[in-house]
Amino acid sequence: MAKRALITGITGQDGSYLAELLISKGYEVHGIVRRTSSQNTARLEQLCQSGNTPAGKLQLHYGDMSDSASLFRVIKDIGPDEVYNLAAQSQVHVSFENPEYTTDVTATGTVRLLEAIRLSGLRPRFYQASSSEMFGLAQESPQRETTPFHPRSPYACAKVHAYWATVNYREAYGFHASNGILFNHESPRRGEAFVTRKITMAVARILAGIQDKLCLGNLDACRDWGYAKEYVEAMWLMLQQEKPDDYVIATGETHSVREFLEVAFGYAGLDWQNHVVVDPNLCRPAEVGHLVGDASKAEKCLGWKPRIRFKELVRLMVDADVALIKSQQGRGQTAV
Amino acid sequence: MAKPQFDFVMRRALVTGITGQDGSYLAELLLEKNYHVHGTIRPRADPAKSWIAHLLSNPTLHERMVLHQICLTDSESVKDLVAAAAPDEIYHLAGQSHVGLSYEIPQETCEFAVLSALRLLESLRSQCPGARFFSASSAAIFGRPTVAPQDEQTPIAPVNPYGCAKAFATHLVRAYRESYGLFACSGILYNHESPRRGPNFVTRKICRAAAAIKAGLQQELLLGDLEAKRDWGHARDFVKAMWLMLQQANPDDYVLATGVSHSVIDVLDAAFGSLGLEWRTYVRQDPALVRPREPVALLGNSRKARVILGWEPTVSFEEMIREMTFAEVERLGTGVSPE
Repeated sequence: MAKRALITGITGQDGSYLAELLISKGYEVHGIVRRTSSQNTARLEQLCQSGNTPAGKLQLHYGDMSDSASLFRVIKDIGPDEVYNLAAQSQVHVSFENPEYTTDVTATGTVRLLEAIRLSGLRPRFYQASSSEMFGLAQESPQRETTPFHPRSPYACAKVHAYWATVNYREAYGFHASNGILFNHESPRRGEAFVTRKITMAVARILAGIQDKLCLGNLDACRDWGYAKEYVEAMWLMLQQEKPDDYVIATGETHSVREFLEVAFGYAGLDWQNHVVVDPNLCRPAEVGHLVGDASKAEKCLGWKPRIRFKELVRLMVDADVALIKSQQGRGQTAV
Repeated sequence: MAKPQFDFVMRRALVTGITGQDGSYLAELLLEKNYHVHGTIRPRADPAKSWIAHLLSNPTLHERMVLHQICLTDSESVKDLVAAAAPDEIYHLAGQSHVGLSYEIPQETCEFAVLSALRLLESLRSQCPGARFFSASSAAIFGRPTVAPQDEQTPIAPVNPYGCAKAFATHLVRAYRESYGLFACSGILYNHESPRRGPNFVTRKICRAAAAIKAGLQQELLLGDLEAKRDWGHARDFVKAMWLMLQQANPDDYVLATGVSHSVIDVLDAAFGSLGLEWRTYVRQDPALVRPREPVALLGNSRKARVILGWEPTVSFEEMIREMTFAEVERLGTGVSPE
């Protein structure tokens, strides 16, 4: 019988790539989606189109990380072999504006999900999407699995909470529960409010003549940026191990927002300095340190290694957004 | 009528969890220092049957106390409370504080700790950014430390739902301090006991049983791991450090501990011994009382608090257990106990 996986946050960047990966491996994939007035399953479009996915291989269920009964019911109904908890309010900047909501969904939501699994009596393998933001004001560089956390935002505090809850259910109840401490990972499916996608979309729009200026915050912020499509493979690999454990997933390279601008605009034959406006309002109340990850444990134990490097990643995102804007214009749509 | 002049200098404090062990000792300390004390109690709670009953029945002190019935997870009420109390200092002590219970009610433990801390910090930010904020953190945030004793540099690595929730609040307090420049501090408190400790904590359970056995009202006592060791101090000493933390020039986090480790057997020796009893005759071990995951070697190094705050515990372990045991004997005699 096909393995069953449950993905929270399936409509997001990582959720959609992971769903594709699991379906290609013959899984039956179930996802939890929030009911909203605006349909938010655009990233699953490819999968949902007839012919791309065998019937019954992808099923969506209404549920919410703030509703424990819904989580319990979905787990009981599906009986998953693997659960991937990717749901979160994942924007650091927004977490300063909406700290309670961020915490409720990201931290308490994870406790609700773990508790729903425990009470269901089922023992699926569990993946928790932890984040490099947990290192925050990093105590050492590069950061590895043993680096202490110093979270600097409500989002990061909530992720640290979820991380320890995952470790706790592993140790106290014997769950096969693992944390993937993922450094930034981007793709053409990245939300447009994230700086990388904001930049590549701006490049495409500037080329199309429908935008001129781009407002950004701290250009010196440095991150370790990888390709989301590769990172979801690491998630899956973690749940295929005999023993649960925690792994840093990163490229090991750090680049500034400024470098990202140079590569993205330069690739399109543009000079970013003619278009970028720095808006101090977009800077975080507390910035994190230089984040760069050491993924040698993942390479050794999981055989995982990043293939797409920084420049290639930026270029593939620019290419995708240029194509996207072209197709929107071709269909007579206004880019929003 | 003209206001008495001291009103102008009287400082206002807001204490959440005022009816608990720490809240009641802190209220006593603050009243003694001439503060105006606002306290929060849960809706439907009866403060006349709590550890602050003696303060409320004292007409002079009662004048300087205001109790607010409030659910601390409700954001609007918290904001209104902070605006109304306009405190100079906020002491956030409320919360389910029993590790074993946090396995039974993980969501409640988590939601309360997380939401109450968030809502108070957000209210502080919007209503009175100049006020000083103390948050009661716990040694449980260190979980299963690899070094002993632990201090402010020890990595936070909790191993139970209570510790996870407290770790979150500790990180959040620091993030708000660093992001918004708030005077917000966490006291990383090691176990602290007193005659007002909740009856489901092992020290109180033992002292209570010793008194009941002495009176012939109980025959045996069931306990979990007798070898478990903790750093146990007196709550009355600890609340002094909370106050001191908010009197400093700069906000910071401090470990508060005695630095001395004792086992459950030491508690038994001191409690039963003070009544001339041999505990081995009465104590049975119950494996069901052993926690799913027991933190080991929790021992605090409060050097920073000693140097910067000039704080020091004054009550010894033996004195404390004796005080707790005699309080139980007295309660059995009078039949009066707030729980």
